Amino acid sequence: MNTGPRSAFRYIVLYAVAGFGLAVWAFPVIWGLMTSFKTERDVLAYPPKFIFTPTLDNYREVIFGASSILPNLWSSIVVASGATLLTMLFAVPAAYALARLRYPAKQASGFYVLATQMLPPVGLIIPYYLVLQKIGGLDSYGGLIAIYLTFSLPFAIWLMVSYFEDVPFEMEEAALLDRAGRLRALWYVILPQVRGGIAVTTIFVFLNAWNEFLFAVVLGGNQVRTVTVAMFNFISVEQTQWAKLAAGAMLAMAPVIIIGIFAQRHIVKGLTVGAVKGGGRR
Amino acid sequence: MTSTSAGVRLEAIRKCYGSTVVLHEIDLAIEPGEFFVLLGPSGSGKTTTLRILAGLEEVSGGRMLMDGVDVTTREPGERDVAMVFQSYALYPHMTVAQNIGFPLKMVGMPTAEIERAVMDAATKVEIGHLLARTPGQLSGGQQQRVALARAIVRQPRLFLLDEPLSNLDAKLRLETRLGLHKLQRSLDTTTVYVTHDQEEAMTLADRIAVFMEGRIVQVGTPREIFSTPATMAVAGFIGTPPMNLVPGNWQGDSVTAGGAKLRVQQASSAPRPVMLGVRPGDIRIAPGGIPVTVERIEDLGDSAITSFRDAEGRLIKMKNERQPTVAEGESVTLGFAPEAAHLFDNTSGERLAVT
Repeated sequence: MNTGPRSAFRYIVLYAVAGFGLAVWAFPVIWGLMTSFKTERDVLAYPPKFIFTPTLDNYREVIFGASSILPNLWSSIVVASGATLLTMLFAVPAAYALARLRYPAKQASGFYVLATQMLPPVGLIIPYYLVLQKIGGLDSYGGLIAIYLTFSLPFAIWLMVSYFEDVPFEMEEAALLDRAGRLRALWYVILPQVRGGIAVTTIFVFLNAWNEFLFAVVLGGNQVRTVTVAMFNFISVEQTQWAKLAAGAMLAMAPVIIIGIFAQRHIVKGLTVGAVKGGGRR
Repeated sequence: MTSTSAGVRLEAIRKCYGSTVVLHEIDLAIEPGEFFVLLGPSGSGKTTTLRILAGLEEVSGGRMLMDGVDVTTREPGERDVAMVFQSYALYPHMTVAQNIGFPLKMVGMPTAEIERAVMDAATKVEIGHLLARTPGQLSGGQQQRVALARAIVRQPRLFLLDEPLSNLDAKLRLETRLGLHKLQRSLDTTTVYVTHDQEEAMTLADRIAVFMEGRIVQVGTPREIFSTPATMAVAGFIGTPPMNLVPGNWQGDSVTAGGAKLRVQQASSAPRPVMLGVRPGDIRIAPGGIPVTVERIEDLGDSAITSFRDAEGRLIKMKNERQPTVAEGESVTLGFAPEAAHLFDNTSGERLAVT
């Protein structure tokens, strides 16, 4: 190992660049965290205060107070979990079919799945609103989950297909010869090998649904108000309650961060799976 | 042990992918308990035939019978066949024991019985000590044995092997070949084995079917295929080095080829152009034969291969047990015993019967 001055210099530069990148990336999060412990007065102080007396009032307010976001967290959990569960339930078999079966127009249907991702969501809001209004789906869990499915499902299918394609054909044929039949071959042989892919896809779909704002604010209402929408309510024409907004944001981030920590191994492995053939499989 | 091994018949099997015909009307009858080898160069249709036997490939025409029962449209799992894939296709997330026991688990065998059968199969291929490992922790040779154990564990009626030795190194391949032969004899299960390696085919097979361009060109024992190849292509494919082929003119009981008149066993009433074939092992340095110059002598230790070049620039090879007493560059003449000559039709390439 070369430990000369040249290499030491390289490391310093490398760490400096990495440190700068990290600082830029982490600044809003750290700033938000600090803000969540400040009083509204301290938040608006200029120049900004880095030394202040921390308070838990904001958290007390957004958890137990009049503007508690607990019901909204619950809404988010229901919507995100429901959308994720349904998405995976449909996406896994669909992706398997796309990856394995030979049928006419396979190419075209694969492209169609991707094409749905190309529409800007804002262009869909009004049609979605009108449809949900007609069928009485506005401000309902079912309505919002159904809308989330329209974009999470194509994404999940598209992601899962590459994982299924990575499992050698012969392994499935071996299972068929071992009298497993298609369904049991899928269950015992194929699915265990795409576990990592299922984990990654589930996380992505959940995060997308959890953080979604545009559809939630337009298609939700008093019954179904997700946490992203609730936080938006801290901003009003008269006043923006920055400290409470920050405390709410920290609470809303918590589940995401927890999932991220637990799933980190899967995510990194999952993202590199396409890079090297068979690299993510073991 | 088992008397349930199946006899297999393929009748006029055709396979096309779109407009490409991969198999043209294959007819094949494999006897119960036979070790049958499908031999041919890559792309000749032998693996497709094996996959049709397994039920992994649908046929475009014809039918397949097992013990007289039409199984053409049966699913792979309903045919009672086991297969060892070229890549072994082991399940990477299962232990060796789980891999071997998988086919038994799928038919709902009780756990205790599965354990006993797995141990039994593993012992037969000498991997009893590896049962707790996963395939990723095994060498290529060990993986191959696991695949073998998984195939024999449920005592199938038909045993299919797709180039099972091709991923092993040369030494291991020889050892495994011997083991495989012994195993097949002790199980007495009908076995169909695909390979492009003629040496494997010659040493393992009871009978061989030689595939060329989607057709079976010859079926016979290894000895028959070596000594009476049905076509020029088979003659050129079997044997190391392959048969020498020289164009000539056949009249009476001799062929004029390479500038010499050579006696053959068969006689032709009318003169006709033919392709004269002689195995390198049958070539001798003899007076009155084809004039050639010695180009190169390769000493293989237990044998020697001598290359000659004739007046028209053709290469002729001779194989002897001992190095011949000639020097490179020397001019000699080559002959052979009349019964060693093989004659093939010049255009169709087919073997010519005695006329």
